[in-house]
Amino acid sequence: MNSFIAFIMGPMVWISVIIFLGGLTFKLVGILGAVRQKEPYIYSYMTLKHSLRSIGAWMIPFFPRSARMSPIYYGISYLFHILLFLVPLFLASHIVLINEAFQISWPALNDSVADGLTAGVIAALIFFVVRRFRVPEVNYLTSAMDYILILVVLLPFLTGFLAYHQWVAYQWITVIHILSGELMLIIIPFSRFSHMLNAPLTRAYMGSEFGQVRQAKDW
Amino acid sequence: MKYSNRFILFLAVLFVAVMTGFYCYAGQDLERLDPWAFESPRRPGAVFSHDDHIFLADDDCSVCHHVYEDGELVSDESSDDLYCSDCHSLKPAPDNPMPLEAAYHNLCRDCHFDRGEGPVLCGECHVKE
Repeated sequence: MNSFIAFIMGPMVWISVIIFLGGLTFKLVGILGAVRQKEPYIYSYMTLKHSLRSIGAWMIPFFPRSARMSPIYYGISYLFHILLFLVPLFLASHIVLINEAFQISWPALNDSVADGLTAGVIAALIFFVVRRFRVPEVNYLTSAMDYILILVVLLPFLTGFLAYHQWVAYQWITVIHILSGELMLIIIPFSRFSHMLNAPLTRAYMGSEFGQVRQAKDW
Repeated sequence: MKYSNRFILFLAVLFVAVMTGFYCYAGQDLERLDPWAFESPRRPGAVFSHDDHIFLADDDCSVCHHVYEDGELVSDESSDDLYCSDCHSLKPAPDNPMPLEAAYHNLCRDCHFDRGEGPVLCGECHVKE
């Protein structure tokens, strides 16, 4: 068992991070290449100013009109995306491992606070599942893959929550925690999770199209 | 249905006996390292039996109680008359590149990985109190 844990805590982390970063880089190059090939004139009106203006406007809570039209979903989604990065990156246990590997360190969240925020992430994911069932227009667009992807995000947070409390089967819970975290990283470039790359690109394009060409706002 | 006083007394005594046994068992303290050298430890001290480890190290104290000079391990020298924190300060320093927490983690976990046995995951040593 220890050699298996050594593998998933060592080489497998590197494999996951390389697939994650390499996959997204490959994807970015592919998108930019496809635009150059099919609609190269897009580059002629892309501006940094309008790109950043649009990305910025869409990051201000409840600023875009569509956010105000469904404030509950938007509000939960907004907090969820912040916590998705904040909790794992500022978790004391994770920082200890990073520090031992690279001798770098940064301030950590209080454990009880992180515990509560993790429960918040799990609650948000349950909300997303219920929403896909209950809202007809969302349900119509939902396939099995959407639930699978929610499960992929749920697993590392749920097992992290259980591992912290050490209620049952600590070793297995923690092994699944490590593996599911790596699975999530690996899946990002090959699934809808790649919107972490596509979303800012889309905003940059829309911001430039509306700002530079139509002299209008896109929020 | 009416129970006799004797039967109720028997049940009461049985209840007290079982609960006493349960508390004695559940309250059994695991043998742990005392994290006194840490200013505000986030986790309870690691579960650790010194006796078991003397046996595992074939009575060679220097396996854990090592001596380093100029970054080199001095063989056959033991530091069992010192506290870990005498050399390993809480923060890395010029004369100590290995802070106390990392010293514990690396020493214990690396040995458990090398031997293929012993706890290696956070909560396997830092068992909740």
